[in-house]
Amino acid sequence: MTAWKDSAYGRRALTILRSRPFLTVAIVAAVWIAASFASRGFGAYGHLRYLVELGAVIGLVAAGQTFVVIAGGIDLSVAAIVTVSAVSLPLLSWQADPTGVTGILAVLVLTTAIGLVNGLGVALLRVHPMIMTLAMATFLQGLLIIIAGGSAVTAENPVVRWLGNARPAGIPAGVLLWVLVSVIVLTTMHATSFGARIFAMGANSLAAALSGVPVTSTTLAVYGISGFTSGLAGVLVLGMNGQGYVGIGDPYLLASIAAVVLGGTSILGGLGTYAGTIPGAILLVTITALITVVNASPGWRSVMFGSLILGLLLLSGREQARR
Amino acid sequence: MVTRAPLLAARGVSKSFFGNPVLRDVSIALQPGRVHALLGENGAGKSTLINLLSGALRPDGGTIEVDGYTVSRMTPTYARQAGIAVVQQELSLTASLSIAENIGLGAYPKRFGLIDYPELAARAGAACDLVGLHEPLSTPVGHLPLGRRQMVEIAKALYRTPRVLILDEPTSSLSATETKILTDLLERLRSEGIAILYISHRLNEVMTLCQHVTVLKDGTCTADRTLEGTDAAGLVRLMVGRDPGDLFPRWQPSAPPADVISVRKFSAGLMRDVDLDIRAGELLGIGGLVGQGQEDLLLGLYGAIPAGTASATVNGASGLPGGVPKANALGLAYVPADRKREGLHLIHPIIANMMLPAFARLPALKLRSRRAERETARGLAAQLAIKGDLDRPAQALSGGNQQKVALAKWMPHDPLVLLLNDPTRGVDVETKREIYMMLRNFAAAGKAVVLLSSDTPELVHLCDRVAVVREGRIVAMLDRGALSEEAIVSAAMGAEQRKVAA
Repeated sequence: MTAWKDSAYGRRALTILRSRPFLTVAIVAAVWIAASFASRGFGAYGHLRYLVELGAVIGLVAAGQTFVVIAGGIDLSVAAIVTVSAVSLPLLSWQADPTGVTGILAVLVLTTAIGLVNGLGVALLRVHPMIMTLAMATFLQGLLIIIAGGSAVTAENPVVRWLGNARPAGIPAGVLLWVLVSVIVLTTMHATSFGARIFAMGANSLAAALSGVPVTSTTLAVYGISGFTSGLAGVLVLGMNGQGYVGIGDPYLLASIAAVVLGGTSILGGLGTYAGTIPGAILLVTITALITVVNASPGWRSVMFGSLILGLLLLSGREQARR
Repeated sequence: MVTRAPLLAARGVSKSFFGNPVLRDVSIALQPGRVHALLGENGAGKSTLINLLSGALRPDGGTIEVDGYTVSRMTPTYARQAGIAVVQQELSLTASLSIAENIGLGAYPKRFGLIDYPELAARAGAACDLVGLHEPLSTPVGHLPLGRRQMVEIAKALYRTPRVLILDEPTSSLSATETKILTDLLERLRSEGIAILYISHRLNEVMTLCQHVTVLKDGTCTADRTLEGTDAAGLVRLMVGRDPGDLFPRWQPSAPPADVISVRKFSAGLMRDVDLDIRAGELLGIGGLVGQGQEDLLLGLYGAIPAGTASATVNGASGLPGGVPKANALGLAYVPADRKREGLHLIHPIIANMMLPAFARLPALKLRSRRAERETARGLAAQLAIKGDLDRPAQALSGGNQQKVALAKWMPHDPLVLLLNDPTRGVDVETKREIYMMLRNFAAAGKAVVLLSSDTPELVHLCDRVAVVREGRIVAMLDRGALSEEAIVSAAMGAEQRKVAA
């Protein structure tokens, strides 16, 4: 009896060791260790904590993106939604509520609604997700320029400021928020029927529909979630930055998709986990930090960032052939 | 009889995948002017043998010979040059290309370095005429029903004027007429000296068409003999290694009927103005030539495609379900024909496939119980004799077992009406028998089973009534007493209008 249990646990351990999320964690650890030896101060607790804090923003955006990609879609409007959130929150903070919670709630409702519109276009109008979300992104960027113009807006919201700067028990509030979101996302993804439906839709949406999966409402929900987490990321980025401006969300489009893919989620849908996206996000900020250490012009930094992402994907993230 | 060297032969070939032997020391010789049957249950190694013969796979041991000479390295290119053409069971057509383009793909006639379309049309047209394909050559293949696509696939093989023609279950999605055209054609090709390897699960076809048979069982050759002096039962014995018994369960009159589904002036897809009553406790067959709208009838009732009706009652609720989740809630379940595309999630574990209808109907945010799921799935696997680890992806299963999974996933929900779209297509005899037993038991338990089938004997021997569909209408409703293959085929082809009071 014990022998059987042992072997079952043994097999389980082996599966985990061979899994993609674990591989990504291993790469992060290797890069951290190597960089600590190469560059003084990289391995300091404060610096690593800072990296994870930066990773939280990507991690939040990539949470919704993971849902969308597993469901067989893609959300190219996440960067624009982050900006919408970071720019409109200062505009929406009214005096009547000194805590600033209502403003945040209003922004999250707004970004979720934007996500739902994406979902409507994809599910009901049958617009391809790439086109739908790209059009949405362009629309939002135009709107933001009209409303906010080129100037930065400063947030006078205590909750936002707390989120961006507070460190209860030494841990940044943004990281705590990320942990909370991660727990909810992983539970929803792997322990509820809703999660199972998303995987089924991504693997074969026709078969899923014929099995009774409510494809329309599930698609709506998935894009709604993406709008929500992007909105949350926008609030956090505003808190860390102090100011919101048009273009603040731009780095998070490629980053969110790269984090998803680096974490082993199939860009074709149907396979993957947020457990891989988490180290994927940390890996991305680590690379960015390393590139910043190298003294290079912004152009070269961008070139290096792109090449490194491609290189890492060749190392770990290639799609397996599907029949 | 064997005086000339075989056009294509395998000598003692073996092949294993990931350490599992699939073929062990199998030999086969394809003689010119002979139709050679290759029989075996699903998973017996037939497809692997074909892949070895056509160069798609390389044998671990043994040799492949062309014209009596050993080919040291058989490749698909070499096979094509040697005149070996394969009609695959998995259709290899490109849906968005036209019939002509699909037929010529990879061997387009060129003129000044560009595709010579008139020449292509002429040659593709000739190949289409051979198989009785009269649709315009510019029709995209995606617009054709499955049976016609199969004919395109065969025309594609003929376009290359092969010396050896390998057909992997060519008739599994063909109607009776199309099958007839194909058998006539093969007969003619044979007389022209072409060697034909023919794989089918329909034994009567094999008996009439073939002269020689090779039987595979679990990767070894259990018979290599002429078909003279054998009968279908003997062949089944060779395949399963024991006495077949009756393929179809005994028919028994069912309980007094009550309608579970009743529609008037029902229209969906190709179907127009259909009046149909489906009774509890009966097996209602849907027959007809392939692509007359039968599938739309099932999908329309299931709410998967838009449907209209003058009046409808489904399990006591009035009106059509109008959506799959609603149909499921009313006790309807649908098992699609194309299990790879519509029925299963091939990259997902078997257990996830089995539990999907449950996930679809449980409250979205209800926490899953992996333990309960595993118990349910184990029970289903035991009930349907699906062997092996349930965590393997569904694509690891053979066709018959995949079909069982597609059926099994509905069982925990105890559906009242089971809509089945050609559930035994490309399924081996043993699995067929199991499925037939299940359907009969299901009907005996007071449920309704609607069985759309392209296999006419299945309709005759299994069903209580058969509705024959032609051009989007039910042209005949044959009761048990009036059921015969002739009656179904003649109604399907419009040879005579026969109406029996339903």
